[in-house]
Amino acid sequence: MKTYLKTTLILLSIILTSCEDVVDIAVKNEAPRLVIEASLDWEKGTQGNEQTIKLSTSTPYFDTTVNSKVTGASVRVTNDNDLTQYVFVDQNDGTYTISDFIPVLNQSYTLEVVYNNEVYVAHETLMPVTDITEIYQSVEGGFDDEVVDINVLFSDPENEENYYMMKFQEQGDLFPELYDLDDEFTNGNEMTVFYEKTDNENTNEEELEPGDIVDIQLLGISEQYYNYIRLLIEQVEFAGDIFSSTPVALKGNCINSTNPNNPAYGYFRLAQVVKASYTVE
Amino acid sequence: MKQLLFLLILSTSWLSAQDNFTISGTIKDVDNGETVIGASVYFKDTTIGAVTNEYGFYSVTAPNADYTLVISYLGYADLVQEIVLDRDQKLDIEIHEVSTQLDEVVVTAEEGERMSLKKPQMSASKLKVSTIKQIPVVLGEVDLIKSIQLLPGVTNNGEASSGFNVRGGASDQNLVLLDEAIIYNTSHLLGFFSVFNADAIKDVKLYKGGIPARFGGRVSSVLDVRQKDGNSKNFDLTGGIGAISSRLAMEGPMFHDKGSFLVAGRGSYAHLFLKLADVKNSVYFYDLNLKTNYQVNENNKLFLSGYFGRDVFDFSGKFNSNYGNLSGNLRWNHIFNDKLFSNLSLIYSKYDYQMILDFVELDWVSDIQNYNVKYDLSYYVNDRLSIDFGISDINYDFNPGEVKPISESSAVNYLKLDQKRAYEEGAYVAVEHKVSDKLTASYGLRYSTFVRSGGQSLNVYENDQPVRYNETLGIYERGTVLGETQYDKKDAIKTYATYEPRLALSYQIDENSSVKASYNRVAQYLHLISNTASVSPLDVWAPSGKFIKPQLANQYAVGYYRNLGGDAISLEAEAYYKTVDNRVDYIDGSDLIGQNNIETEILNGESRAYGLELLVRKSEGDFTGWLAYTLSKSEQRTLGGSAGGPGINNGNWYNSAYDRTHDVSFTGSYRLNDKWSFGTNLVFQTGRPVTYPDGQYEYEGQSIASFSDRNANRLPSYHRLDISATYQPNRKPNSRWKGEWVFGIYNVYNRKNAASISFGQNSDTGINEATRTAVFGIVPSVTYNFKF
Repeated sequence: MKTYLKTTLILLSIILTSCEDVVDIAVKNEAPRLVIEASLDWEKGTQGNEQTIKLSTSTPYFDTTVNSKVTGASVRVTNDNDLTQYVFVDQNDGTYTISDFIPVLNQSYTLEVVYNNEVYVAHETLMPVTDITEIYQSVEGGFDDEVVDINVLFSDPENEENYYMMKFQEQGDLFPELYDLDDEFTNGNEMTVFYEKTDNENTNEEELEPGDIVDIQLLGISEQYYNYIRLLIEQVEFAGDIFSSTPVALKGNCINSTNPNNPAYGYFRLAQVVKASYTVE
Repeated sequence: MKQLLFLLILSTSWLSAQDNFTISGTIKDVDNGETVIGASVYFKDTTIGAVTNEYGFYSVTAPNADYTLVISYLGYADLVQEIVLDRDQKLDIEIHEVSTQLDEVVVTAEEGERMSLKKPQMSASKLKVSTIKQIPVVLGEVDLIKSIQLLPGVTNNGEASSGFNVRGGASDQNLVLLDEAIIYNTSHLLGFFSVFNADAIKDVKLYKGGIPARFGGRVSSVLDVRQKDGNSKNFDLTGGIGAISSRLAMEGPMFHDKGSFLVAGRGSYAHLFLKLADVKNSVYFYDLNLKTNYQVNENNKLFLSGYFGRDVFDFSGKFNSNYGNLSGNLRWNHIFNDKLFSNLSLIYSKYDYQMILDFVELDWVSDIQNYNVKYDLSYYVNDRLSIDFGISDINYDFNPGEVKPISESSAVNYLKLDQKRAYEEGAYVAVEHKVSDKLTASYGLRYSTFVRSGGQSLNVYENDQPVRYNETLGIYERGTVLGETQYDKKDAIKTYATYEPRLALSYQIDENSSVKASYNRVAQYLHLISNTASVSPLDVWAPSGKFIKPQLANQYAVGYYRNLGGDAISLEAEAYYKTVDNRVDYIDGSDLIGQNNIETEILNGESRAYGLELLVRKSEGDFTGWLAYTLSKSEQRTLGGSAGGPGINNGNWYNSAYDRTHDVSFTGSYRLNDKWSFGTNLVFQTGRPVTYPDGQYEYEGQSIASFSDRNANRLPSYHRLDISATYQPNRKPNSRWKGEWVFGIYNVYNRKNAASISFGQNSDTGINEATRTAVFGIVPSVTYNFKF
């Protein structure tokens, strides 16, 4: 909820400033690093047995050609309680999959990746999530009173601190829109999150129209992951704006136990997720 | 401390020889009765003289003799009067301006702008409002804060960022005073314009170093802004109609000519920016300056001044944001005798910020306010010695944030962050001592204390670590809270005390040149903690206390000053070295908004800055102006300290956000004839340090930038050229109405100076690109000013 305060301020500054254009900027290139996208999301009502972990390497910022997919690594997840090991199988396309994973709520797990003789380790706990209670569209809501927005409602549990991530993606869009939420200002209440698109010539964004389908995900995440994804989202959305936080090097939870100075990017996340789709009327 | 003051008074009165007499009084402008600040009052062909203080008062003591008294103030005709100093006497003098043009547009500069070679005060710049009004500005909106950025050693973080930076310092390290009241936020519209309405301002003085002992509380600079008292001779109306705002000021005599008043208002137009034209948004600001004074009798004068300013943003009724400063000051000037001048001030200041988010039904308010009692005395002992001394007590109330639901159905719970309270006290003595005809010394001491009072609870952290280094993940995290300690209202959470010595020397080499040196130590007990490039209105002032130590600056400066070609051209060269202890910086991933425990988001560090400043100034003739060049470095270092770990940027020194290697400004004005005059600025600055990506990777279906070390890169260089022309039509000699047109072009060659560069994916192609945001391209403007 705090994010809204900042977002609003950033929007103000964007409204006030006038001119934007794309420029050539020379940036430095650091040596490639391993990227671990280990997002073990367990959709409510499913078994959660099929999981995929993606491995790649970082590339120069403006590069579009390098094949960054990582093959030949070994990937393994362990249940910290019963020590069951789940070995993910290299699909030779940068993905590593498993079909007999057993998710347990509030259970901690350990990820181990061995790549180029270096061992990467991460620990995380599988967080539960509350149900989406309602989805509706409106015009009045959101920032703009003239375009359609989709509102997602859910009830925040009262007796704990909760952290959420939401993903909205209109089918056909290249990227999802990510939101981070905490319940500091709203503990125990019904929370509403809206998704709105406005016409924007610069980004070619178009407002939602009847027939558009939006995929929605609500994930319960750990505080540690919240701290990570909050920064990541702010950097993706606003990095460089004068009222956004100065961007910093993001550090995930995948540490390199062989060479601590070479940690991996990305994150080992376990989250329960509620998924829904909404067709704009 | 008080005993010390008493002793000083005793000893100095003993110092004054018996056959000396004193002449004292007030210097005013003959046309409007405004007291004149900084006029020179001296006896011709001697080294005896003084400068009028902030209330126009002077006192000169000299041996019994006949003298030629000269009053000199730039833009004004020298006033010469024969004096027989055979007894103490009082002499109030009115001087008159050379120019008869509108808005005191004077073609000569003032004594204060010329260098006073003998005075030990260095690193200070005085700007007259008439000078400020001649400087071309964006959209014709006269801007004090933008004007001082043309001086050497003063920069800011871009056109749309608030505040200013002095000698590599942050904007919260500037003490900004409007009639002695602290102004916490100097910007309108998040930094586009400043809060000072030039029509209400009389005098502006910026101290970049050698900060006098009577000031304390901020480590970088003091910007001392004084409002006009109001015309005590005639009723006067001045105003202007510009592209951004309109202004109107009324002033005139009051209380049967025993006083005067000034009311000045300024309001901007809603729908200011073209981009907003088609939507139901409004963005505007207004401010109001008030001043009145009453001369009770010969030795007593009362002043009441006030300021109220507000910015309002309303976006389709969806969110509303407003903020502003409020200040008031009641002052009592009392002249004990011809050698002892005093002023007592009761001051109130408040800054508050509100944001209403209709779409989440949330109302956010934060504010800071203070009450300040100050008593300042000046004792003019004899022709070689004068002493300033006084005390100050500031009582602060901090409300870091309050969240309210705005309806029954709101998802938001009421939340109030801990209120904080503190007292800041200071006592000082400063002596200006003419050691010989060539050497003058100013030595002083300020003793300041800061009490963070209770009435709140503070977290107790495991191992006393509000922040701790997570060795495994290599990041700084919030410490573990073990419990809370409740502090009673009458208990102090923490007390700090600092001795702040101030020293300055000037040595006159010859008629036209001098060298000066200064040292000052200043403590700063308040911190504005920000992790954004521009200080945002959401950033909250935090007092020192159990977890945050006071900032402590030591600054050393030397300078060489020379008048070239008479008084018309002067050269100043200064070098400085400054260190600041306990300069906190935010940790990577800090979350400052609505943060009740700010200590968990910061690490204690230090900063240092050094530089060379050159200023060549021409202050008389049809052409006036200056060229300023600054070569400087500003860095900071933040070690892990008690939190463990290497600190920020692995504990190495890194550029502060205010580091500018080169900073060049040229500003000039040329008076062609009675009708036309022209102005220009040319500015060049090394780009601001920023953090760029040094790689990318795929995550969550997007390209994520990986960023390098903090402030390791720079924005492209900033430069621009502005011009303006002022036209004053023929006037009927007897008409009171005087008008002028000001035509301006800001950023003539339409350089798109980057306010920021952001990195992201093109949403169509998915290819990474760098996007530049420029604030002002070429901006023409027309303003009409009038006086009646």
